[in-house]
Amino acid sequence: MADSTWITLISLGVTIFFMLGTPVLLVIFYWVIGISFVIELPLANTGNELINVFSKGFALLAMPLFILTGDLINQSGIARRLSDFAYSVLGWLRGGLAMASIAACGLFAAISGSNSATTATIGSMLHPEMVKGNYDERFSAATAAAGGTVGIIIPPSIIFIVYGFLLNLPISDLFVAGIIPGSLMVLGMMTAAFIICTLNGWGVLIGLSISRMIKTGIGAWLGFFAIGLVLWGIYTGRFSPTEAAGVTVGFCVLVGLISYPLNRVMGSSSDVPVEQKSYGSMFVVEGFTVPQIPSIVSRSAQISGILVPLIAVSVAMQQVMSSLGAKDFIGDFVTGMGGYYAVLFTSMAIVFVTGMILESLPVTIILAPILAPIAASVGIDPIHFAVVFLVGASIGFVTPPYGLNLYVASGVTGVPYFRLLRYIVPYLIALISVWFFVALVPETALAILPDR
Amino acid sequence: MSILAEAVAVVPAIFSGSTWDMRQAFDADGMWLFCFVFTFVGGVLAHLMYRHIPFLERHLERTTAVVMYLIIAGIICWGVIDRFVFSNQWSGSTTVPPFLFMVMAWFACSYNVKLRTHLSFSEFRSKMPPSGQMATLTLDAILWFGFCWIAITTSLRFTALSADNFQLVDGVDDVMKWWFYITVPIAFTLMSGRVVGNWLEDWNNYKSGDAIIKQAVIGGDV
Repeated sequence: MADSTWITLISLGVTIFFMLGTPVLLVIFYWVIGISFVIELPLANTGNELINVFSKGFALLAMPLFILTGDLINQSGIARRLSDFAYSVLGWLRGGLAMASIAACGLFAAISGSNSATTATIGSMLHPEMVKGNYDERFSAATAAAGGTVGIIIPPSIIFIVYGFLLNLPISDLFVAGIIPGSLMVLGMMTAAFIICTLNGWGVLIGLSISRMIKTGIGAWLGFFAIGLVLWGIYTGRFSPTEAAGVTVGFCVLVGLISYPLNRVMGSSSDVPVEQKSYGSMFVVEGFTVPQIPSIVSRSAQISGILVPLIAVSVAMQQVMSSLGAKDFIGDFVTGMGGYYAVLFTSMAIVFVTGMILESLPVTIILAPILAPIAASVGIDPIHFAVVFLVGASIGFVTPPYGLNLYVASGVTGVPYFRLLRYIVPYLIALISVWFFVALVPETALAILPDR
Repeated sequence: MSILAEAVAVVPAIFSGSTWDMRQAFDADGMWLFCFVFTFVGGVLAHLMYRHIPFLERHLERTTAVVMYLIIAGIICWGVIDRFVFSNQWSGSTTVPPFLFMVMAWFACSYNVKLRTHLSFSEFRSKMPPSGQMATLTLDAILWFGFCWIAITTSLRFTALSADNFQLVDGVDDVMKWWFYITVPIAFTLMSGRVVGNWLEDWNNYKSGDAIIKQAVIGGDV
């Protein structure tokens, strides 16, 4: 049998595995092993990657640390304060809680770097309140899923770290380049939420209260400080992204431990409504104790233990695809499309379609090293292309059949996966519109880079 | 030498204490056969260990991962403070954490096998009849076992090569890389123990008519 026939059969076989519910990690691993047999690549090539991926650099370490940051700010109560602030600012508008949910995702994303952590945290916090507030539960779940996409675009971002690590681009530049596109994604989704809620009459309006806004703003100060610390450190070049992550973890641990006893003294329980709290008590968050730290870290370790092996096998997959000549094939196809815009839009189409069936990390690891050099050859700025690529990859989190955020949102809200799909469509339209805007206007990514 | 003889030769090479002998024995094709048996026997033993010592079952991988995570965060955070406050930086602060990260990731990966929290598309599986669910879970077990087998074989070779070349971790004195690499086959042996335990649990549920597939929660069992 010819090699091409074997490759087709192996690809079909692992697709069946995938449909039968085999973990994605194993699906990719066995595709790599199968193809390695066909093209006579040594298995050591794949096995060694399970170790080599770690020894290649310090940069990848930012990933587990930003995941831990997300869990720490959630456990310490900072995430709750950020969402309270977002609600007090937007609650007076029709669909205010839905918009606040998306804005809270944006704020949470500015400290954490994970899409699934953003969806899980904000979804589990605000979904019950949205349902109580007269929103359709399917729309509420879809809102959490869509809001989570900005988790990896607004810096810090796990996927930017992986992209920079693979293509040897400065991660700090990528982080800065993600600020405006991430903010546009938030605005786009908030607009979609406003339109949908206005058409359906969803949500209960609360009065605009300046004192509540100030109070919740004060309550969220630790979150704003953490956001400022990360952005200042990276923007000024004081820290590398990995160091920024380490410092933020240290900051969150300190805040959590100091806040816990202070919070008890000041009686600032999260159960007490904001209106009944004094301004002084708003300064302190709930915090956590030393014995709680292992369980917080354990959760982060679980998430890292899912994502990191996936990166290792995806790197091996990318090498096998190179050996197969996929790089040349896709390269010829994309280059054959023509100049700047044709390459840009063809790349976007490839990322979008691949994102529907693969997790965004493998999409990035496999396609970025192929598409980025082609884009550079037609004059697309590497940082701009990175942002366009990764906004597309982030949209893959909410595109069925394999949209990770849809699963996470379904898991934390209890709304069955297939039932929330219809309600993701308005958000998808908003995200794709922003994506095209970012692609057509490079300044959205490049304007605030420190060296431009 | 036959494959069986090569596999048998791995045992004395391990006990010889010579990294050169180990490397020679590990590079032979018989290493695959040896590691197949090792993965299976190691998995069964790990499962028995977990069954008889529930404390280890609950804490071994999790605690290892958490301790490594905290050390990584501590080293990096202290590295920044050391630089800004004391104008000093430990030379290992950027070279040691990636190795700890490797240890953390594979132990956490093994723990996720126990919790079944690895990402998957489980919509069709959850709608299957019990026999179909049991068949897909058996397929998972076989695939996980194969993954462990390949990982143990290649990582043991990698470790022996590193030890034989006396590779040191950059920036620190007298810390060998293989001290970290050896944790990878250990993590995969524990993982094969989880595979055995999961399959037996599924089989018992299947026979007793209990629900076989349960909703896995990231952050569950913490």
